Parts: sequence; structure tokens; C-alpha cells
Amino acid sequence: MYRKACTTVAAAALLLVGAAGCTDVTLEPKSTVTGANVFNDPASYREFLAKLYGGLSVSGQQGPAGQGDISGIDEGFSQYMRLYWEMEELPTDEAVIAWNDAGSQELNTQLWGSSNQFLTAMYSRVYYQVGLANEFLRETTDAKLSARGVTPELAAQIKQYRAEARFLRALSYWHGIDLFGDIPLVTDADELTATPPKQASRADVYNFIVTELNAIMPDLAAPRAGEYGRADQGAALMLLAKVQMNAQVYVGQNHYSDARAALETLIASGRYTLDPSFRHLFQADNNTSPELIFTVPQDGLHTQSYGNTTFIIHAEVGGGMNAGDFGIEGGWYGLRVRPEVYALFTGGDPRGLFFTNGQTVSIDNLTDFNQGVAVAKYSNKTSGGATGSNPAFPDTDYPMFRLGDAYLMYAECVLRGGGGSQGLALQYVNDLRTRAWGSTAGNITAGQLTLDFLRDERARELLWEGTRRTDLIRFGDYTSAGVWQWKGGVKSGKATESFRNLYPLPSAELLANPNLKQNAGY
Amino acid sequence: MRRRVVLSMIAALLAASPLHAQTGQITGSVSSADGGRPLPGATVSVLGSSLRVATGPDGRYTLRGVSAGPHQVNATVLGHGPLTQPVNVAAGQSVELNFVLQPASVSVQGVVAIGYGGTRLRDRTGSVQAVTPEQFNPGRVVSPEQLITAKVPGVQVVDSNEPGGGISIRIRGGTSVSSSNEPLFVVDNVPLPVGGGISAGRNPLNFLNPQDIESVTVLKDASATAIYGSRGANGVIIITTKQGTRGPAVEYTTDVSTSSADRLPSLLSASQFRAAVQQYAPENMGKLGNAATDWQDAVIRNAIGQEHSLGISGAGQAANYRLSLGYLDQQGIVRDSRTKRVTGSLNYNQRLFRDHLNLRGSILGARNTDQFTPGGVIGEATSMAPTQAITLPSGSYFEWTDPLGTNNPIQELSLISDQGTTYRSVGNIEAQYRLPFMEALTATVRAGYDLTSVTRTIFQPSTLQSQVESGTGGSLERRNPSATNTVLDAFAHYAKPITRWDSDIDVTAGYSFEQGRNEFPTFIAQGLSSDLLGPNGVPAAKVQQEFLSINENRLISGFARMNYSLKDRYLLTLSVRRDGSSRFSPNNQWGTFPAAAFAWRVSEEPFFAKANKLFPDLKLRASWGVNGNQSFGDYLYLSNYVIGTNLAQVQFGNDWVSTIRPSAYDPNLRWEQTTSWNLGADYGLGSRVTGTIDYYVKNTKDLIFTVPVAAGTNLSNYVTTNIGSMRNVGLELGLNARVLDGGRHGLSYEASFNAATNRNQLLTINPSAAGSQQILTGGISGAVGNNIQVLEPGFPVNSFLVYRQKYSNGKPVYSDNDADMYVDVNGDGVINQDDRVPFHSPQPRWILSHTSNFAWRKADLGFTLRSYLGNYVYNNVASNLGHYDALKGAAPANLQTSVLTTGFVKPQYFSDYYVENASFLRMDNITLGYTFQPRRGVQRVRVFGTVQNVFTITGYSGVDPTAGLNGIDNNIYPRSRTLTTGVNVGF
Repeated sequence: MYRKACTTVAAAALLLVGAAGCTDVTLEPKSTVTGANVFNDPASYREFLAKLYGGLSVSGQQGPAGQGDISGIDEGFSQYMRLYWEMEELPTDEAVIAWNDAGSQELNTQLWGSSNQFLTAMYSRVYYQVGLANEFLRETTDAKLSARGVTPELAAQIKQYRAEARFLRALSYWHGIDLFGDIPLVTDADELTATPPKQASRADVYNFIVTELNAIMPDLAAPRAGEYGRADQGAALMLLAKVQMNAQVYVGQNHYSDARAALETLIASGRYTLDPSFRHLFQADNNTSPELIFTVPQDGLHTQSYGNTTFIIHAEVGGGMNAGDFGIEGGWYGLRVRPEVYALFTGGDPRGLFFTNGQTVSIDNLTDFNQGVAVAKYSNKTSGGATGSNPAFPDTDYPMFRLGDAYLMYAECVLRGGGGSQGLALQYVNDLRTRAWGSTAGNITAGQLTLDFLRDERARELLWEGTRRTDLIRFGDYTSAGVWQWKGGVKSGKATESFRNLYPLPSAELLANPNLKQNAGY
Repeated sequence: MRRRVVLSMIAALLAASPLHAQTGQITGSVSSADGGRPLPGATVSVLGSSLRVATGPDGRYTLRGVSAGPHQVNATVLGHGPLTQPVNVAAGQSVELNFVLQPASVSVQGVVAIGYGGTRLRDRTGSVQAVTPEQFNPGRVVSPEQLITAKVPGVQVVDSNEPGGGISIRIRGGTSVSSSNEPLFVVDNVPLPVGGGISAGRNPLNFLNPQDIESVTVLKDASATAIYGSRGANGVIIITTKQGTRGPAVEYTTDVSTSSADRLPSLLSASQFRAAVQQYAPENMGKLGNAATDWQDAVIRNAIGQEHSLGISGAGQAANYRLSLGYLDQQGIVRDSRTKRVTGSLNYNQRLFRDHLNLRGSILGARNTDQFTPGGVIGEATSMAPTQAITLPSGSYFEWTDPLGTNNPIQELSLISDQGTTYRSVGNIEAQYRLPFMEALTATVRAGYDLTSVTRTIFQPSTLQSQVESGTGGSLERRNPSATNTVLDAFAHYAKPITRWDSDIDVTAGYSFEQGRNEFPTFIAQGLSSDLLGPNGVPAAKVQQEFLSINENRLISGFARMNYSLKDRYLLTLSVRRDGSSRFSPNNQWGTFPAAAFAWRVSEEPFFAKANKLFPDLKLRASWGVNGNQSFGDYLYLSNYVIGTNLAQVQFGNDWVSTIRPSAYDPNLRWEQTTSWNLGADYGLGSRVTGTIDYYVKNTKDLIFTVPVAAGTNLSNYVTTNIGSMRNVGLELGLNARVLDGGRHGLSYEASFNAATNRNQLLTINPSAAGSQQILTGGISGAVGNNIQVLEPGFPVNSFLVYRQKYSNGKPVYSDNDADMYVDVNGDGVINQDDRVPFHSPQPRWILSHTSNFAWRKADLGFTLRSYLGNYVYNNVASNLGHYDALKGAAPANLQTSVLTTGFVKPQYFSDYYVENASFLRMDNITLGYTFQPRRGVQRVRVFGTVQNVFTITGYSGVDPTAGLNGIDNNIYPRSRTLTTGVNVGF
């Protein structure tokens, strides 16, 4: 008996000692990959680059929602292109939205405050892209690549990846200075730190964008020579032209000539032609269009989110529209045009893809979908009439840059004294109208080609293509000039104060980063 | 039980007379009623004096220097009930006094579990309260937490009204924002994972049969919880199951119940609805239909339930056991919700080697089978137009043609299958060895486990309206999470009176190792080629997604506790725990959590003698301690690359590339720390009243908080880091009164009252921020992504963030122009999101409760009342459906009746009109019982009837003023009124 007791005591003591000896707490993760081992797989570089593009096309890692990239807002709302589109369209004469999501109606009237959730999320999205691109660049330095023993073939590919990452960073910085003005300039030279960055001037960031785009040009694929969906020299030239064309707004300098030169290089590449079908540019198979320079691809089976064209196509459908005609399962009753822009299409401009049945032209109630003419421009039907692969998540790619826009930009640069050919400017404008009318019936004369005409022509050609706010600011018709229904919060519309040409820096950001100074007026 | 101790103390105090000069001695033995074996290590004390001694190995003791005269002498030992006996000591003589103690499980002896041991209530220094079966809430109780609702001041139990649904507990308010605020649960010495573990969707603690529970002990202050270190900040709840205490005994309880809905949302009738459409959306008149359907009534039912519980127990010379079986089947009042449970438990206790070795084992096992009401049904029954019939003449269900229209809830009930099964077992085996050569030292080793395996299967056939609308074509989702947790504790306990210094000391010190592993496999199949297999198989599917995620965590700890008592009057407890957690980087993974408590039994002081009549017992307590909180995700300190699914791929040419994403992280993540102070008193007032008072301050710093960070400094706009601070300050009062004690008429009446207030305040979010940051929380329905609550320094967590509505004649002003309706708080001439301000919070200012128990001859009657004061609820049903625009569009929705008052045409989600004072008084339960002995052989029979949720008095207009913890009433499960009748038989 006693021996047994001894055995028990000994066993217990052994257990005690054995257990007490175990003091190692660290456990390695099982189902996630860490920064320490992720690049052991050479495919990771391409997958990380894909995420930089994915930052524009999806909202998180799960699709259509789940594992969201940014927080503080509904994940569907947080999708980059959806936010950017809303920022560029809703405060303008081109669009209104019917919904009561907190802050939506403030965008319709330009009466946003600095805590508006959409502009806050847009700001976060810009820096989300910047942060990811910086991290990618820090992880792909020559030193790190050689330390990891990357093969020369892969290193050559990574060189191009790095150029694309810098393109995407420049793109977001352009959105940043266009929407918010003076913002911090954070690059891959900065490490991740808890110290908030200093505010840079709009000019600093502008110069950074231009310098970067010129620097990466040789490393990018030639126009349309690379894989579809990835940025090439065409995309970089277009972005450069967009930035320089607005230099008067951003830095008070005239760079129309530089913009014109970039556009000429782009067009002269000869790799882009106008799509014979205007509608095809906004349809489920628009990836085959020869006109598109840079898109944000979406796919019903592989690339799902509640933003991008999923948002635009669903939100444009409602009322008497048949959702099936748009290749979707049902409309979201959201977006219409204001009467002022609708009026630009009188005379039967074929680009006016409107739906009027059951819709009023004038808008008494912003939240009533039946008020304001509806738009039938974007669709999840292919040019052949088939429905896209998934009625809930269209296949339609977001046409960010296209040749048609480049033509109009060229014409505008010429008219603004940026050099170039007046004749070519008129020809480009008429090329677009000939494509629309299917004949020269809609063509204009040299005398008709004025800046005011181009302002309106851009609305006709590029309605709902996410460029209106920037255009109106460049033309000086966004705030203190220019009146449309519900601008300023009254039905007849009224001028707003010019400080609203910029969005405010988000109030949450001002608190998190005491270095920032709010934009004037807010 | 505490009352008995206090009473015996009172009696002893009255009897004691410490002024005699001459002394004698008392000698005798302490033995167990269970076979008469001697009990070594028992404490024998003369009440009202500092004299005490421990029994030797033979169970014998001698108390010397006892003053002559009558005394009350008390003997206690763990594992047995205490006993107090009178004795008369003559000067210079020795008198024999023997004690025979009844074996008992922990709580019956005035001993409360405090983690790694127990303490006598009398000696406790911290704020600890045990609730025992006779105090448990009666009636249909599916989850063990409901047993103690309204029974402990400072403990808020929030249920979800659904049978077996999730329950939240807040002990002295929440201390965290991003981590869990739930207390740590310890079941039979096995700590459960955060929130109690995993389940198919209902409360993970449902694996416990309330009939098996012997006591639920709540550790509230830091000194009590410090022994659980990094997990103690939100309090600890120790659940102990029943053990066999006496010869073969059989106990059987059965009951049946019927439940009906208490209150339902207030909606327009069919005729009111038709009139409203006529006026505000005449274009929709043609869509209305001719029926008058009460959709609420169509989804609500009278629910029935039954429960059977059988316990067989026995105790012998050296062993005791208890075996139990339980069965529960309870329907919910919303169709298709139901929970079934089969439980089994075994407790076995064997003493060996002249009681030097004590082996214990317990196993709890359960299978919970849950059926869930499809998620949308309650909301759909609220918003579906009452003029539509459930079925069309053709026999098919009515559905709106437009996908935005409300789907028919009856179709969902008939087609969707949503079932879950949870298997869970918790057990532990323990060896406790008292060293033969050093009786004061006991070594304990125990190993415990907690295994859970869950299956949840949701099948939606292709014919379901929502599947038709989304084009999904039928879907089957099956989740199979499993969890394995193991714990090994090894500790030693040393207890010895130091007679020379008139002191007692006991020390516990040990080591604990816990490891957990969770696996979450899931598959989703969509676009099923056939509905025929239902939830039981996957035919060819268009889209298939599989997920698997595994995580592990480990906690290694050393802990120690010392209790020192001087003259049985000055009590000191010191404790410390050092925890190492896998959730932090190697630089931060170890943390130390100290605590100290001091108690002074004032009533034992000679100078207090004169006040002893009024205050026979008075103890003052003070404690301080530091606790941690680590209940959040694993691996957050590491830079993780999250791999995207095949629905979030990116097109490169003809290739779809899966993406990898680095997540924002803080490599320096460390513990959240709560430092608490507690001042308290336990008192007896006169001969019939006892009570406690506690005042506490809990300061939490380094909150593990997901906060916005400056753009450009991390890899997302929010990061989980240690930032911010929070404070909870509160007062708790408890009072028990034995108003009538049988007496001449045989009527006894006991009453207890609890009151608690807690003020929660978020002090800072980011101390280096330029001003007061706001983080929006509290998602509501109506539009997308709208949030009604805010985290803002200076305000309680989750305060409502609203526009200040302008009122005229008591009604909210309505206008097309926001500026006429709302106050322009920042005076910028524009009403926008910047004008919303924090306004009240869901947390009650006061929680009051009262329990009454009457007994008269063989009958007993008891009831429990509960009241919240100053809690606010956002009525989301009213805000979402209280506007006439809901009648427009493709499918008019029914309206909530507030629209008749407000006249709102457009929705006003953020008006303070919808933030309502939801103070209430509710009778939680009333029960009537009758106990008798029908014949020999049957020990007792008790028949009883209980009504739960008898009435609620409130000014709140929605369904339930206890609308969840967050105070958002958004189509919540309605509360039910339940009548239970049953019988309990003991053999």
C-alpha cells in the first residue's frame, strides 16, 4: 500500500516538474502566411501584385464581401471604384442617388461635412493603395530579391511588377490630390511607423506623380502588349495626360502642352481604335473592346464585390426598367440624371441611353427613384445579347481610360493653347460623333468647337464615366458657377462656395494625424 | 447557507463572555458521518474568541485556555458541512466535545469556490458571491447563466429570448471595446474558451444541464479574479456540478411548459395600410391585394417544451458518485426554432490510503440539436404588406415580383432547412495527495479537457424566392467547427494555524498549462443541379467554395495565493499570477497580475461589543488588483498575409490570379490591463438581516482597440493596437432579510434585494490624437451600413449618436428641409453627419432586483422582480418602417405605427425620437410548489408551477426593453411568457 502511495507521489511530482518545464508559449500560425515566409513561394510576387490591382476591383479577400480591406464602413460601400465614382458623379449635374445611407444625400447637394463616411472611406482607399504599393516595393528591392535567391527570369518580371505598383500608387495619389488637395506624401522610402506623416503640398504630390510616371515608362509593357487588366505604357500616358491637363487646378501652372504631347504619343502608338459600337464599351464583354486603355476588370465568377460595375449597373436599374434586360437579377433603385444634363442630349444624341418611361425629368424628391430620368448605359449583357456569367455580379469591366476620352482631351488641350492641330482636334470630336450617329449627321463644324461645347460634349460622351467633377472644376463650373437641381440643397439649385471644389480632409484623419491642416472653408 | 453561518455567529457572539479570568480546556475528535472515519486537518474554533486549532491525523484536537462558561464551538473542514455545538467549560477542567460532520459538496458548507481551492465565506476578503440551487431561477431554464439572472448585484445577464439563444453577461460593466467583455467560465475546474466556447449558433454553455449544477460562484473584484490573471478583467464565473452526498439516492424531475409571445411590434392593420397607400403612394394601389393577413401571427406559435432529469447518487466509506441523465426539448415561439438536448454526467470521488489520496473525476457530455428560424423570417413578418394573402388561389406562395420586395416568410419557413448539432464534453481528473509526513501540505494534479464538435447545415432550395431572385440556384452550406482545449494544473496547498501568533496561514501555489486548437472547415455549394438531396448531399454544383482555418493558442501560468488571518479578525489575501500567452510576440508574451485584499472583522473587536446587538457581524473589506484581458484573435502581432478566395481574384490576361494581402498589425501588441479598487462591507443587522455593500473603480488602460490610424502609417486604415482607456465606477448593495421564520403560524418569509449601478466611460481613444475621436458602431437596418452608436471619449461605450430632433406640441417636427427638423449643433448652417451628437446609452443606470420566498406548511411561493432604470433602446423597427416612403417603390412595406404620430415621409434613422427610455419593471418569475411524502420509501415529492416573464411595466414602445446588450431593437426575437408545471421526486 505504502509503496503504491510512493509511486503515486513520484508520478505526481514528475508530472509537476515535467509540466513546469514547459514554458515556451510561442505558437506559429497555421492557416495564415506570415511576412517571414510568404516569399518562399516565388508565385507570391505575382499574387501580391494582383492584390494591388484587386484594391481597385474588390473590397476584401473573400468576395463579394468578407475580410474587408478597410474598416469603419460597410464593406460593399468601401469598394474603391464605387467610392471614386460617387465622389466624381453625385455632386455634379450628371447624377443623383436615391438612398438614405448616412451621408449619401449630402453628396447629392454638395453639403457634406468632414465626417461624411464616403469621403472618409475614399481617403482611406487612396492610402490603402499607397500603403500596399509601398510595402510591395519595400519587399522587392534588389537587396531583398538577391537575398532570397530570386532567379534572373523572375527578377526581370518583378522589375515590371514594380513599375506597375508605382503606376497604381501614382493613380491613387492623383485621386488624392484631385479630391483632397494637400495630403501626405508617403513612399516606399518610409518605413511603417506609428509616427503620423507630415502634410505635403498638392504641388509636391503632383511633381511626384509626374516624375514617377516618366520614370517607370520604360519598364512598363508597350501599349496593349501585356496581359489584359495590367497597366501598360498606354495607361501611364493617359494618367500623365490627365494629371497634367489639370495642372492649372492643382498647381496653378499651364501644362496643356505636356498633356497634349502625352496624348499624341498614346494615339500614335496605333494600338487603340474606336470601338465601332459605343454600347459595347459598357457591356459584359467590353474586355474585347479595342478602345479601352485601362480597365478595372470584373467577373461574375471570379471577381465579385458590391462596388465597381456591380454597383453602377444595379443602382441604375429600378422603376419600370426590366432588370433582365440589363443581365441582372434586380435593380437597386438608386441613380438617375439631373434635368440639366438630360437637356444636353436633346435633339436625339444617340449616346443618350436613357430610360424615361415612368420617370419624371424634374426632381422634387431626391429619394424617389421615379424622379429624374434613368440611365441605361451600363449592362451585364454582352454585345451578342447574352447575359453575363452571373446576374448578381456583372462581367462588365470598369472603363477607366479609353481612347474616346483621349480624343476629347486632345481637343481640349489644343483649344486651351497646348499646341497641336486644330484640324485634328475637330476630327477627333467628329470621329466620336460619327461613331455615335453611324454617319456624319451629327458632326460639328470648326466654329462650333469651343471650350463650352467640349464641356457639354464630355457629358454626352462620358456620362457616368467618373470624370465629371474634375471636368467641371477645370471648366470653373462646379461650385460658385454652374447651377443644377438640388445643388446647395435647394430644388432649383444654387451656387455653392468655391471651397467645396475640394473635399474636406476626413475629421477622423485630422484627429489621427495632428500634422494635418484642414482644407480652407471646412 | 450563508445565513446559517451568520446566525451561528450571532448566537456564539451573544453567548460568548470573554471576561472570565479562569480557564479550562476542550478536547475531542472530529469525524465524518460517512463511516465515522476521523477527519484530520479540520479547524475547531471557539466562536467569539481567537482560540482555534487543527485536528491531528487521528482527527483529535485539544483547545487550551478556554475561559470558563458556556461557549459555541465550531468545526469545519473542506468536503464536509460545518457544525457548531454548545459546551460548558469549567475552570481547570477538561471537557470532551466530539463532532460528527456531514459530507457535503463545496457550496453547502459555507465554502465558496475561488479558483484552485475554496474559502469559507466568513474568511473571504474579496467580492465573491455563490448562488446555490435553492436561489436559482425556476421554470424553463435552458442555459445555466439564466439561473443567476437578478440574483447577484453587479451581474447583468442579457438573454436573446430565443430558447437556448446566446447570452451575454457583464460583471461590473464592460472593460474592453475590441476584446470580449464576457467573464471567464470555469466548469468543474476547466476554464472554458472566450465566451464559453463554440456552438452551432446558440449559447455554447447549453451543454450544461442546470439540474446538474450545485453552485454558480461569481468572482467580481480584482483580488478574487487575480488568480485567473490575464483572463480575470471581466470577472469569473465558477460552475460546480453536483456530487453524491448520501447513501443511494435517486432524484427525478420532469416538467412540461407552454410559451406564448409577450409583445409583438406595433404595425398598421390591413385597412390602415390600405388607407396609407391610398394617400401616400396611390400608384401602388393596384399591387395591394385583398387579404387581411396578420403576418406576425402566421410566424408565431404557442411553443411547448418538456424536460426530464434523473440523478442517481451515492456515498460510501471512501467513495461517492453521482450519475445523471437529462433530456430537454423546447420549441421557440417563432416557428422552426427549437432546441433539444441530451446530457449525461458522472462525478466520482475515491479516497485512498487513509484519506491521504483523493481521486476525483468528472465527465459532462451533451448533444445539443438546434433548429433555427431562417434569419429573415421575423423581419419579413414585420414588413410584409398585410393586404397580401399568404398563398395565392393557385396554391403557390405570394411573392413580390421585384427582388427588393419583402419575401414571404412562410415560404422561407417551409423551404429552408437550418439545423445544427453540437457535441461537447468537458471533464477532468484530479489527484489530491496529502503528504503523510506533512499533513498541512496537499499536492494536487489535475488534467482537464473540453472537446466540441459542431455541424451546422443550411440548405436553401433553388425554388426559394431569394434564390430565384439572386440567380444562385439553390445553396448548401455546411460548417464543421471543432475545438479541443486541454488544461493541466499542478499546485500545492499548505494550511496551518500558527497558534503562537494566534494566526492562520494558508498558501496555494502552482502551475497551469492550457492549450487550445480550433478548426473551422466550411464548404458552400451553390447552383445545385437538384434540390432532391436537401441538406444531406451535394449534387453537381456550379460554385463550390471550401474554407479551412486552424488556429491554436497556449497559456502557461504560475500562480500563488496566500491567506493570512490574525486573531480571526484581520484577514489578508495576497495573490499573483504570471501568464504567458501565445497571442503576443515573444517580447510581450509574459505578464504579471498581482492583487491584495484586506478585511477587518470589526464585530470581533472588544470595543465593538456594545454594538454587537445591532451589528452582530460587521466586516470591512478593501482590495486592489490588476487583471488582464486577452480574449481576442490569435496571431494579431504577426504580419499575416491573407490569401484571397476564388471569388476575389484578379484578371491578368486570361488568368485569374488569387491574391495575397498583408494585414495591418502592431508587432508590439500586449495585454490589456485593468486595475481595480474595491471597498466593501459585509454586515448582519439585528438577528434577521444580512447584507453587503461594495464600491469599486475599474480603470482599464492599453485597451486592445481597433482604431483608425493616420493614413500612410500602416497597411489599413484601422489597426488593432493597445490604445485608449476606460473607467467603470459602481456601487452594489445586497440585502437578505428573514422576515418571518415559521413561528406560531408556520409561515416563513425571506426576502432579498439587490441594487447595482455602474457608470461606464470611455476616457481616451488615442491620447495623441488632436481631439475627440469618434468610432461608429451599432449597425441598424434601413439603408446600408448605417450606424447609430459611437465610441467617443467622455461618453459611455456605444452611446447613441443622433440628430437632436426639434419637437412641437410633443411631436417631432417633420419637414423636407433638414434644418427645420434638426438642431444645427455645430452652427455651420448645414445639417449633415457632423451635427450628430452622443445621446444616452444602452447601459442601465441602475439594475434592481428582488426575490421573495414564502413557505407555509407544505406549500411554498416565490417570485423574482427585476428592474432597469435609465437604459435606452433604439427602436429600429419604428425608424425603419415609420415613414410613408416605405409604401413607394416596387413592393410597398407595412409601416410601424409611430408613423401615425410623426408623419415622417422620408426615413429619419438618426432622429433622437427613436432613442427611447426603456426603463422597466418585470416579474421574471413566480413559482408555487407543494411538497409532501406520499409513503415510505419516497423521500419527497414536490409539485410545482412556474410562470416566467409574468408582466413587464415599461414606457418603451417596442418589443422588449431588454433588447440585447447593445440596445438596438431590430426585429429581435420576441420575448415569451412561459408556464411550466412539473414534479420532482426524491427516493
